[in-house]
Amino acid sequence: MVVLVIAVLCGLVIGPTSISTWHIVGNALSHVGVGHSTLTPLQSLIIWQVRAPRMVLGLVAGAMLAVAGSTFQGVFRNPLADPYLLGVAAGAGLGATLAIVNIGGGNAVPTWTPLLAFVGAMVSVALTWLIGGRSLRSTPTTLVLAGVAVSALFTSAQTYLQQESSSQSIARVYIWLLGSLASASWSSIVLIVPYVAVCVAVCVLAGRALDVMSVGDDEARSLGLSVRTLRLVVVTAASLGTAAVVSAVGLIGFVGIIVPHIIRLLVGTSYRRILPLSVVFGAAFLVLCDTVARTVIAPSELPLGVVTAVIGAPVFVVILSARRLGTS
Amino acid sequence: MVHLEHVSVRAGAATLVDDVSIDVTAGSWCTIIGPNGAGKTTLVSVMAGLRPVAHGVVRVDDCHLAELSERERARLIAYVPQHPEVPVGMTVEDYVGLGRVAFHGVLRAPSARDRDVVAGVLERLDLVTFRRRDATSLSGGERQRMVLARALVQSTKVVILDEPITGLDVRHQIDILELLKTEVVQCGLTVIATLHDLTLAGTFADRLILLSRGAVAKDGSAYDVIRSRELASSYGMTLRVVNVDGSDVVVPVRGDGAALGDDLA
Repeated sequence: MVVLVIAVLCGLVIGPTSISTWHIVGNALSHVGVGHSTLTPLQSLIIWQVRAPRMVLGLVAGAMLAVAGSTFQGVFRNPLADPYLLGVAAGAGLGATLAIVNIGGGNAVPTWTPLLAFVGAMVSVALTWLIGGRSLRSTPTTLVLAGVAVSALFTSAQTYLQQESSSQSIARVYIWLLGSLASASWSSIVLIVPYVAVCVAVCVLAGRALDVMSVGDDEARSLGLSVRTLRLVVVTAASLGTAAVVSAVGLIGFVGIIVPHIIRLLVGTSYRRILPLSVVFGAAFLVLCDTVARTVIAPSELPLGVVTAVIGAPVFVVILSARRLGTS
Repeated sequence: MVHLEHVSVRAGAATLVDDVSIDVTAGSWCTIIGPNGAGKTTLVSVMAGLRPVAHGVVRVDDCHLAELSERERARLIAYVPQHPEVPVGMTVEDYVGLGRVAFHGVLRAPSARDRDVVAGVLERLDLVTFRRRDATSLSGGERQRMVLARALVQSTKVVILDEPITGLDVRHQIDILELLKTEVVQCGLTVIATLHDLTLAGTFADRLILLSRGAVAKDGSAYDVIRSRELASSYGMTLRVVNVDGSDVVVPVRGDGAALGDDLA
């Protein structure tokens, strides 16, 4: 929780315009009728229309990506699983490319982009499920392999579209694919929060079931778990939530794979602990990374996906080394 | 208690279990023996409701197994696979507690009754001192007792075990089988197990079923089955039964009789 509070304050306080924490707190309290705001109208606008939506979108996206990564790792019993395992990234990428190249004509990122990215992500996951998950004899491996095949298909279609388009469109598609919180607005947050809230709740509630699944499909079934139903429900929830987030912020890598591993190293392997902590830590991690991304080379921004990897990898290595020293 | 009627299991063109009919009475111990590839593991996974049948019916305690949900089945049958998966980082107590999931569900924490059942079984199987240990840190014998404890906390009438003593030394083999025998005698548990050790199979089971190429080759008392011509024939070698202090010991005879793979010895 302390990390989350620090992340929220960093997201609001740090930026080109210097505004102190106390002024922001005073302004927030004045909105609920306590004291008066000492912020100028411009400062208030920067906080509530620029930094706050960006910070909240970071919280929402980070929480969803981390919890989806943890869920996928649990449900597939695969430590390399991430939220994009079943084709969400490839589907969203194709949808976004279609929007930018065909609808926007390469001159801008059209307003249809999030919707087409979301539709693309859901179509690819549905296709993966139809190919690899419908049969009674399907295993987690068949589903993952179907995800690989569908991703390859969608990625090749996206590559073809990019090849046929102008260099301007390629640059815009590429920027979208790297992910960013720069286009955050309250309206985009309102649009994705209902999906994310339900999906995060479903995944967190599945913690005990994922602990049972850690003994393998057959043993989990013999213990009374309906493995097929559980897999369908949590994979759908994790994919839907991820698709919603991706439609708003693009493809932010690394959060969904590194955050669950960091938490696992800190608190152990029970999903009853990993999943709620993924929500908190994933949210804080992405906001902190975004703060770095938008300030290091200001007024330009670093791609968020690059920052998550540059910060996440060393943190992971340090915790892993500390754990090894502790156990040796 | 466990009733199989003309059960067949197929994998593609291969028939793994061929028209097997068995009736195991409540409170008895039935061991399935047979050479590698005879279909023992397939048969017990069918009895546990984990594998669909191509033909036939499986009933446990008068319930049609295919019509039960996983949760209903887990309250009726506990299953111990040949190679149980023990998750890294889970304590012995939590691992054993998985056996109560069918009772409290996956959305609720274990009730006081669930915790009492787990504590009682840990005590009975002498696992109390290990309960906070990482489940993967136990030795082979301790680990097998822990897996058995998980099955017993399911409080089922039937426990099905696939090769429960594989990889254990002779002392731990006897310990595990004695624990099971106590449950059969004192609690009226029905045990169905597969075993490779013919001497131990004959010593502990009330009844032996010899499986050969997916079909029942011999079914009867331990005394009859280990002395049967079908036993030697299934393994393709000569087996001698020696009585030592009142216990039958099955001894394979080296280089005597038919070569491996022959039908008759």
